[in-house]
Formats: sequence, structure tokens, C-alpha cells
Amino acid sequence: MWWGGRGQSFNIAPQKAEPDMGLSGPKSVQRTGMLESRSCQLGSHLASGCLPGEQILAWAPGVRKGLEPELPGTLICTNLRVTFQPCGWQRSQETPLSSEYDFVLVNIGRLEAVSGLSRVQLLRPGSPLKFTPEEILIHGRDFRLLRVAFEAGGLEPQAFQVTMAIVRARAQSSQAQQYAGISLSKAGQSSGSRKPPVPLLETSEDWETERKKQGAGGWRVSPVNERFDVATSLPRYFWVPKRTLDSEVRRAFGHFHQGRGPRLSWHHPGGSDLLRCGGFYTASDPNKEDIRAVESMLQAGHSDIVLVDTVDELPSLTDVQLAHLKLRALCLPDSSAAEEKWLSALEGTRWLDYVRSCLRKASDISVLVTSRVRSVVLQERGDRDFNGLLSSLVQLLSAPEARTLLGFQSLVQREWVAAGHPFLTRLGVTGASEEAPVFLLFLDCVWQLLQQFPAEFEFSEFFLLALHDSARVPDTLTFLRDTPWERGKQSGQGTPNSLLGTPLTHSCLSGTGIYATTVNRYYNSITLAMTRNTAQIPGSLDSSQTSWFLDPPVLCGSSPEGL
Amino acid sequence: MEKSSSCESLGSQPAAARPPSVDSLSSASTSHSENSVHTKSASVVSSDSISTSADNFSPDLRVLRESNKLAEMEEPPLLPGENIKDMAKDVTYICPFTGAVRGTLTVTNYRLYFKSMERDPPFVLDASLGVISRVEKIGGASSRGENSYGLETVCKGIPNESWRITKINERYELCDTYPALLVVPANIPDEELKRVASFRSRGRIPVLSWIHPESQATITRCSQPMVGVSGKRSKEDEKYLQAIMDSNAQSHKIFIFDARPSVNAVANKAKGGGYESEDAYQNAELVFLDIHNIHVMRESLRKLKEIVYPNIEETHWLSNLESTHWLEHIKLILAGALRIADKVESGKTSVIVHCSDGWDRTAQLTSLAMLMLDGYYRSIRGFEVLVEKEWLSFGHRFQLRLGHGDKNHADADRSPVFLQFIDCVWQMTRQFPTAFEFNEYFLITILDHLYSCLFGTFLCNSEHQRGKENLPKRTVSLWSYINSQLEDFTNPLYGSYSNHVLYPVASMRHLELWVGYYVRWNPRMKPQEPIHNRYKELLAKRAELQKKVEELQREISNRSTSSSERASSPAQCVTPVQTVV
Repeated sequence: MWWGGRGQSFNIAPQKAEPDMGLSGPKSVQRTGMLESRSCQLGSHLASGCLPGEQILAWAPGVRKGLEPELPGTLICTNLRVTFQPCGWQRSQETPLSSEYDFVLVNIGRLEAVSGLSRVQLLRPGSPLKFTPEEILIHGRDFRLLRVAFEAGGLEPQAFQVTMAIVRARAQSSQAQQYAGISLSKAGQSSGSRKPPVPLLETSEDWETERKKQGAGGWRVSPVNERFDVATSLPRYFWVPKRTLDSEVRRAFGHFHQGRGPRLSWHHPGGSDLLRCGGFYTASDPNKEDIRAVESMLQAGHSDIVLVDTVDELPSLTDVQLAHLKLRALCLPDSSAAEEKWLSALEGTRWLDYVRSCLRKASDISVLVTSRVRSVVLQERGDRDFNGLLSSLVQLLSAPEARTLLGFQSLVQREWVAAGHPFLTRLGVTGASEEAPVFLLFLDCVWQLLQQFPAEFEFSEFFLLALHDSARVPDTLTFLRDTPWERGKQSGQGTPNSLLGTPLTHSCLSGTGIYATTVNRYYNSITLAMTRNTAQIPGSLDSSQTSWFLDPPVLCGSSPEGL
Repeated sequence: MEKSSSCESLGSQPAAARPPSVDSLSSASTSHSENSVHTKSASVVSSDSISTSADNFSPDLRVLRESNKLAEMEEPPLLPGENIKDMAKDVTYICPFTGAVRGTLTVTNYRLYFKSMERDPPFVLDASLGVISRVEKIGGASSRGENSYGLETVCKGIPNESWRITKINERYELCDTYPALLVVPANIPDEELKRVASFRSRGRIPVLSWIHPESQATITRCSQPMVGVSGKRSKEDEKYLQAIMDSNAQSHKIFIFDARPSVNAVANKAKGGGYESEDAYQNAELVFLDIHNIHVMRESLRKLKEIVYPNIEETHWLSNLESTHWLEHIKLILAGALRIADKVESGKTSVIVHCSDGWDRTAQLTSLAMLMLDGYYRSIRGFEVLVEKEWLSFGHRFQLRLGHGDKNHADADRSPVFLQFIDCVWQMTRQFPTAFEFNEYFLITILDHLYSCLFGTFLCNSEHQRGKENLPKRTVSLWSYINSQLEDFTNPLYGSYSNHVLYPVASMRHLELWVGYYVRWNPRMKPQEPIHNRYKELLAKRAELQKKVEELQREISNRSTSSSERASSPAQCVTPVQTVV
């Protein structure tokens, strides 16, 4: 049985011998330690799967339902996650990333308990559960659904306990503070020892190296935000025009929304620059000198620049969130969408529409910057969402370097992590109202490019999937802070700072053989810039099937769907 | 399959069109060697189609006569034997994407060629006449066209104790749309076959398509029984089906898969056809697969064409695609084949597949099920054999379905049946990227030459006709061309899982429109980056690594066995990597 794109990081051995798995794809799914008998005694092997600082709160035997085959196992609730551990399967120590059956508490979107015909949503620990659940349904925010039926026969109290434990644990976890210091074992250990290959952009040296790499001669690294006193959502260092003094930077930035003034994102070898900045601060009353400072920073030595209103033609945050919710509803295993209406239902989510508008806009800007050699300033009021998305896409389209494995990681680190994309808020972890998976939208855009340019990217779709899944796993700080400032508060406490650095791609994945699958077989490193008539037509956009579905085609060993 | 005997005629372009006079051709005495693909060079298109198309074509176009200087440069390169029938200068071609272009239009006995030096690079429209489906008053648009020839193969391991090869159809007297050699249950004598044939539509009796090497479960194919309104029965036919069931000791049941929707099957009774009643056929279970007929499919493709050409409406792309029902039909066909494969593999039960005549939907189902069941057919040569066997020898009516050389573009017998089959194969290659030896280009090439008429493979309606026309002598087989440049068609990721049964997911969520085929003429849909060269590089790399493995293994065996005589050969058979030829 091939467990789809997601189960790879967790080595799962089926109970009974099945024909070879994973043959249909490039994946090398490993099988490891198979426990021989079903042991309801959790004992040591369960605990051994725990992460440092993780505690088991409750557990109950149950059967995973909904997908064939049904699996007997144990539902476990810890202070970090809810996990279903099939009988006879053992978590591999090599793979700290989440498995198909791991639900990080914050990833639980909806909880339902079922008994007979009644179906109750479980919200707060206070809301009483009036019956012993026969079944529990855990809806993940990441398109998963785990359905576990509890065993009858004297074990009902356990079923009740574990259900209540999940409700409580989840309620507690919604206070985001609890991430402090939690890290998954392997990832944590390896990052401290050597310098990560991907610059985390927390030191001015990193920025300087990066600047030189881009050949941005007219720019320098400004330490003006070293104490986060210009903007907490900006990194400590960023690039400003060489001739602009730090005092002018401070003065100019004050007139932008949340202090996010114009900074260089990318320097095109042909001489043009790509800048990003926030909206003008409406209440400000700049004097002449301030205006001159702002102008000189925007122009950065170019005689004329193009100011792009980022939100123009792009979906709003609400649109993105709504589309994502619809897409999720459509792709969940229990989706009620009729088979013959699948395509129009998919169209109805408008998700692909939004992907298209992002790609189109990015490719227009890319033409400006590269072929027309014009400098472009991306302006978005908050400068923390679509600016990052567009700027990253433009670089992916125009700079071959960004399409390598390391280059892409470095791009994400620069344009998203360091630039202060509010990951926590956007992914709905904080419970604030501004949930909108802009980063996931970006990943889908990249996936589409991957489909259209199969030989231009060093990484494969599995790499994107890993990023997608990691966005909700509290193993590193990469995606678990809203601002560099908050992230900075945590570093130095032994917590790995980046998923993008050593841990993900080099330690975890290479340890399990997954590294191989994140590398694209078709990648042709010699090619240069991509053609730019990218993604104009929805016909060329695929629905991202690997990432949104978990039921892949099967080889021998399970009965075909639709019988 | 053995290497083709006539590769010498291959690399070169097919030789000239010597318009054959149809009647003078010698009769059906073609020799069918059981396991080979053979070819001889010869004519390309029948004279019939050439003259018709040429005559129809030029007068209808808007020809603006003026002086010309560029015309010489605007002539087409000619194939051997090709000659120019007519030429018109200063013709305006109205391109749906780039607007009007002026240039020279040439009609030869093979193609329609338009070239304009106005643009840089020169604008060229090159279409073989076979591609032209219809000519109208204005504009010279082209769309799909038509048809080429074959040979045959018989299952491995036959005859055995339950099955025998019969030559009863040697002269195509039992059934003129079946091949000369048939595999039938061993204990049914030829005399009885004739009586079975009289009960089956057009004499297409149940014959063996595939036999499971272990369980002996079989796939047999036929046409509908001539039950009629009165509910006729045939003792011989019932006995025949019982014999098919008995040949498989694993199961006491047999499944009859009727590809049609049950309504259509019932409706066929009025025309004398129908389906097997479970009363008459003990131990048989009848299943309808709900696949629609050729007319529904043709209409679906027409709608598909409308939404992809010339313009694509962006905002409603997916719902428009859905409204064509094309993917839904693809899904039903795949799902049907899946059920057949599952019954044979998991149920160890023999199956009988038919539709009405047993040459359209039946061919789709049996060939797809065989692709799922048997890794041999997923190799390049195996796939060629599959097409030769299930499609060409069992009389899929290529001529009729494609309509080459036929003026009547609205003929009700046209239908994209074979195209659908290839689409289904493509869907399978998407779901199992490493299970097929061939790549997408292979499939596109086959479809292109369905219409190019450069090869004899897909000409005519049956083996019988192809024999009569002496096509194997007079034309080149498409397979010869393909086999002479395998590296173009090889999937570098092929892993040869020949012993595995593939169960593709037949769900709308997993099916995609084959944009690389249907929408490839839309300039905005041009592949952004053909990965063809990358394929070749990967193949070269694999061959190189393969060689290294062999060297190392040789080295090891040299070291371990000090005797020099054993050092040479054993390495080869252990090689884990699939050899690329």
C-alpha cells in the first residue's frame, strides 16, 4: 500500500505482508521494525516515539475507518499532538516529521464525536460530552480527516477519556506560547553543530554575502533595525541604497505602514531592481526632507521606476481563505461533491483562479524587470503577504538560482521568514480572524510552475509537499512566528530556527531516503531563464492532485476504487 | 516479438505514392507469421482520397492572384514520389491566433502546404491530406483526419490442453472481420464454431484475447448474441461459453461484461441483437459497463474541440471541460477495464467481453485490461503487439471510424474510439510514471500517424481487407519506423514492473485532460519546455551507469573466481537495471 505524498516521512509497515509498495512512484518507502503482536499495553514502544518534552495524556484502542483497509491501533493524545498508531507499527526514530496519522494539536480544525446517530462538535473543554463516543472524527486543517472507531467491550471509559483529553489539549494549545522550546528530536540536535547551508539571514554577514551574490553594487546592508525599533516585523538587517544614510532610512520608514519602507528584494544582473514596501502611512505629515528621503529610497538611483499596486487584480486575504476552505471541503475524503461535478466544483472554489492571477501578475512584473530592465517597487499596505508572494515568484521566473534546492530555501527564508510574513496568524494558529493561507497559495503557484517547466527546478513536488506539511508542525521556528522579532526572542535557546536550513533537507530527509525524492529527476541545471508566457491559461493549470488528495493510484494489493 | 525482418525499409521515408488501382490487387494470401511485424515499402495513400481532396480544396479558397516573387521559396519540400497538383500564390490564411497571413498554398498528392515569408520565421502550415476532415467555403482550417495497416500475434503458451489454434478462418469465411488464426476452446470442433458464429453478430464468436499464466483465467471477446425480441437461444453458444468457463479450474463462474448501458443492450434486441440471459447461461453473471456508443463519443469530442480551439475561455475552463463529458467517458472506460482486470486477477475468474459488434468498446476494454494485467504490453514492443492484436487483427474499423478518403465528413460511423483508448493509456502513464517503457511522445506519434497516412498500419477495416489490398507489401508499418528510433520513444524512468498488476484510479479527481495532445495546436498552450531532450540525456546516463554496473560485476566475478573461463558471462543476468536498447 502506498500511503501517498504524506506518509513518507513516517515509516509504516503494514500488518500483513503485502506486495511491494511504492512501485508506481519514485519514492522509496522503507519498512522498518514490525512489531509482531498487537499490544494494547502501550509500554515502552509508545513512549519511545515521544519527542523530548512530550507527554502522553490519554489513549484508547480503536480502529481507523473511512479508508481501506481499516486499521486497528491506538489513538493517543499527548500535549503536542493526537496520533493514531496502527498495531504493529513503530515510529521510526529517523523521521521526526509528522506522519499520516499525526495531528499536531494546532492542526486540528474540527473535532466531532459520534454515537449512534448523533454527531456532536466538540469545542471547548467546558462543553459536556453526554455520551461515550463510538467514533471520533478529527478534521485537519491540512486536508486530512482521521476517523477512529473505538472498541467496545469494557474500554468505553478510555474512549471517553481520550476524547476529553483531546478537547482539553487542543484548547490549551491554541495559546501559541506553548511552542517555546519544543523541537522534534533529530531536527533539534543537528542544527546547532554546524552552520546551516541556507543563510538564515539573522546576521549582517548573511545579508552581505547575499548582496554580493546578487551583484547589487548600488546597495548596502543597513543595521538600522538591529534592535527592532524601526519595525518589529522587519528583519534586523536589510538592503538600502548605498548613498542613503541610516538616519534617512529611519526618517523615511516612519512614513510607511508599520515602518515597512522600501527595501531591495532582488537585483537583476541587467541593472534593474525589485523593491518592496508597505503602504504610505496615512496620518503622516512628511516634511520636505522626509519626502526627499522617501523618493531617493524608492528610486534608488534609477531615473524612473514602476510602482506596482500589489493587491490590484489579486484576491483579497478573505478571498484566499474562503477559496482554501472550499477547496479543503472538496478534497477531504468524505467530500460529498459528486464525481461528475468534480471539475465545476473545483472551478467553483476559485482557488485555481487565484493561482492564475498570482502567476500572471508575477510574470508581467518579471517581463518589466528582466526584458525591459525597469525597476519595480511592489507596494502592498501590509507588505507582508502578496508582496512576498509576488517577489518570490518573480525571482523564481527570472533567476535560475532561485530554482535550485538551496536557492529556493534561501528565497523562502528571505522573502517570507525574514520579511515577517505572519505565518501563525495566516495559518490560523493564533485563532485571530486574519487567517489566509497565502504561503500555501504560493506553494501551489510554484507547483504549477513545476508542472509547466519540469526541467527547470532542482526540487520536486515532494519538497513542496514537505514544506506544505511543515508549515503546521511545531518542530522548528521557521513557520511558527509572526515576526522576526518574536522569532529572535526564541533563538539561542537551543531551538532550531529554521526548517529550511540543515534540519529538513539534509538531516531528516536524507536520513530516510526522502531526500532523493525531493530532488527533481528532470532538472537540467544548464538552462537559463524560463520562457515568460507563464500560466496565462487555466487550461494549463492543474489541480494540485498530489498535495490535495491522499488516495493515489495503487498497484497490486488493494481493490480498485469504483468497484 | 522478434525483431522485424524488414528494417531496411525503415529509416528512409516511406516511398512514393503510386496510386494503386484497387481492383487489380491480388487476393488475401498474405502470410501471417505469428510473431513478427513486417513491412514493405509502398504506396502511401489511396489515389481515391488524394484526388477527392485536391479537387475539393483549391477552388474553394480565397485566392488573390497577383504577381509573385516569393513563391519559389514558398514551395514545400517534397517526399519521394510526391508531386505538386496545384499551387496558388498570394493566398491569405486566416490564422485564428495571429490573424491573416499571405503566402503560397500548394496542394500535392500528399499534403496541403502553406508557407508565408512575410513573417520571421516563415509561417508554415503543413498538413497531410488525411488530416483534413472537411472543407468549407471560407478559410482553410484543418482539424483531425484519418487512417493505415497490420499484422498479428497470438498468445504465448497456446495451444495448451484447454485452448487450440484454429485455421477455420484462414480464408475469412467464418468471419471476415476476424484474423485468419483464432484461439478457441480445445474441445469445440470447427463444425460447431460455425454454428456459434451464426448466433453471434457478424459471426464474431468468442475468441481468446488473454490467458492468465498462473490461474488460467481468460479474457475472451466477441460480439452480442443474436437473441432478438423472441429471446432466441443457441445450444452451441451456451456449450461454448461453458467450455470457456471449464478451461479455468479456479472458478465455477464466468462473467460476461457487456460494455453498453443496459438500456442500449435491450434496445438492440429490436435489431436482432441483445445480451445473454442468465437463465440460458448457467453460471454466468452479466454486468453492464455503461459505456456509451460511438455517436455519444463523437459528440463529446466535438464539444471538446470547441472549447479548446481556437480560443479557450479562461474563467470557465473547468466547467466547460466538464460539460463535454469527455473525461467522464474516459473514466467509464477505465473503470470498466479495471473491473475486468480485477475479476481476472483477484477473482481468478474468466471473463467474456462484448458490446454490440465487438470491435469498438470491446477492443478498448480488452486492451486496457491486458495493459493492467500484463507488463509485457507495457513495453514498447508489447504495446505494438497489443494494438496489432486487439485492434487491427480483431477488426476495429479504422477506415470507417476515421473516414480517410471519404467525402462525407458528417458520416455517422466516424468516432474517436481508438483515440479514447490512447487517452486512457496516457491517463495510466500519468498514474504510473515508471511502469511503461514508452513515453508520451510515443502515444502522440501513434495518433499522428493514424491521420498522416504515411504508414499502412491503420489503413482499411480488417486484416482481410489489408490482405486484399496487399498492404503489408505495399506500405511500411508504423512500428518499423518506431522501432528504428526507439530512443525517441523510451521512458527513461521505466522500471519494468512486469509482474505487477496496475490498478489505476478511475475517478474524475485523478483524470486530467491530455493537454499535450488536444490543445497542442494552440500557440498559447505550446509546451513551455519540451523535456524530450532531457529524456534522452537521462537515457544516455542510464546506459552509461548500466555499463559501469556490468563492468564492476565483471570485475567482481573475475576476482572471486580465479578461473578465467567463467569470468565473462554471469554478470549480465544479474544486472538490476533495465537494459536500454
